[in-house]
Amino acid sequence: MRVKLKAGPEPRKFIERIEELSGENVYACYQCGRCSAGCPMAAEMDYLPNQIIRLVQMGLEDEVLRSKTLFMCASCFTCQSRCPKGIDLARVMEAVRYVLDPKGRDAFGPNEISPELAQELPQQVLVAICRKFSK
Amino acid sequence: MKVHYYPGCTLKEKAVALDLSTREAMKLLDVELIEPEGWTCCGAEYPLTEEKIMGLAAPARVLRQVREEGGDVVITTCSFCYAVLKRVNYALQTDALKHKRINAYLKDDIKIDPLTKERTTNFEAYNGEVKVVHLLEYLRDRVGPGKIASRLKRPLRGLKVAPYYGCRLLRPQKELALDEPDNPHIFEEFLKAMGCEAVDYPFKQECCGSYLSVSLPEAAAEASYRVLRAARMNGAQAIAVSCPLCFYNMDKRQAKIREMFLDFPGLPVLFFTQILAWALGVDKGALGLDDHAVPVDKLFEDKRNAEVIL
Repeated sequence: MRVKLKAGPEPRKFIERIEELSGENVYACYQCGRCSAGCPMAAEMDYLPNQIIRLVQMGLEDEVLRSKTLFMCASCFTCQSRCPKGIDLARVMEAVRYVLDPKGRDAFGPNEISPELAQELPQQVLVAICRKFSK
Repeated sequence: MKVHYYPGCTLKEKAVALDLSTREAMKLLDVELIEPEGWTCCGAEYPLTEEKIMGLAAPARVLRQVREEGGDVVITTCSFCYAVLKRVNYALQTDALKHKRINAYLKDDIKIDPLTKERTTNFEAYNGEVKVVHLLEYLRDRVGPGKIASRLKRPLRGLKVAPYYGCRLLRPQKELALDEPDNPHIFEEFLKAMGCEAVDYPFKQECCGSYLSVSLPEAAAEASYRVLRAARMNGAQAIAVSCPLCFYNMDKRQAKIREMFLDFPGLPVLFFTQILAWALGVDKGALGLDDHAVPVDKLFEDKRNAEVIL
C-alpha cells in the first residue's frame, strides 16, 4: 500500500483529538497484530484493527474516516483483553466515529430499521446500535 | 433475604423468559427481589469516549435509587446491563472528573419524600457505593453451593450444556472482574451445580455478533454460527446464555444461520435461569419455553433421552 504522509499541525491535531477522546495512547501500539488475530469481525473489514491504529499514528485522517471498519466493530473488547500494551482499541474506534462529520455517510440510524424488524428485535439492541452508530 | 434486582428493558418484553425464570427460581431460594422504583433503561452501551457523559447519567441514577432505598447490592441477569452498571460504578469510583460531571447532572433530580410528598432536590452525590452483582456471582457467593444443592429437586443429570459467556460478562476485565477473560469458569461451576455436564469448547468467550445483527446480519450470523457449531461439535445438547441479545442472535436467528450454513444441524439455546428454575422444581409452564424459536421442550422432561434431543 502506498500512502502519502502529510507533515505539519493538521495530522497532529487529529491524533491529539483521538487521544483526548479515547483516553488511549495510540503511540503505545507496536503493531504486534494480536487485536486483528482475535477480532471476530476481521474478515469483513477493509482495514484490520491494527491497521486502523497505524493510520491514526500516522495522522492519515481521511483514510481512517473513510474506512468501513469503524462500523464493523462490535465493541466485544477481545482486542482490549489481548493487547500486550493495554490499549483499548474499541475506544479508539469510538473516538474516530465521534470525529466523523455528523452528516457523514454510513452512520446507521433508526430510519434504517424496518418496522417489522424493529418489532422482533430485543430493546437493548435498538438502543445499542443507535448509541454506537448514529449521532 | 431481600435484594435489589434490576431487570433492564429487554427482560420486560422480548426476554420475558429470563425475567420469569429468575423470579421463580429466586423465590425457591428464599430470595425476595425488589425492583428499584422508577428504574429506566441503562443505555445498553457504555459510552467509550471521554465526552459522552450523558450516557452515564441514566445508569448512575438507577444505582443511586438502589442506595436511596437502602440497598447495597443490585443483581442483574442481562449481560449488557451488568456491564453498563458495573462500568459506571467503576468510573464513579476511580475517575474524579467523571464523578463530578455525572453528579452535576444528577444533583438537580427531584426527590419526593414518601411521607410528606415534599419535593426537594437535595440528593447526596452518588459515589459508586452500590455493588453490582451478576446472578451467577450472587448464586455462587451469597446463596452458596450448599444451599443450592440442598434445594435441587430435578438435577439435569447427564445433560451436556455449553456455557456461553460472550463479550459483556468478561471484558474489560479490569472493570468487571467477574472472571478471567480467556479462561473463565463461573458458568461451568454453575452448570455442574445444576447436575449438567459443562461442555468445554473453544468459542465460549467469542462475540456472537452483538448489535451488528441489525446492521450486518450476515456477518453476525456467521459469528453466531462459529459459536454454535463449536459447541455442537464438542457434544453439547444445548447452549446456555445470560444475555437476551446473544439469545436473539443464536436462537431467533438460528433458522437464518441454518439457511446460510447447511452443515449446521441446529442447537437449542437456553437462558441459564431456565436451567436453574427447572432444577429447583419450577413448573414447566413458568419457564417461558414457548418463547424459543428452536424447540427446547424435550430438554425439560423428567425422563430425558439424549437420543431424542439430538
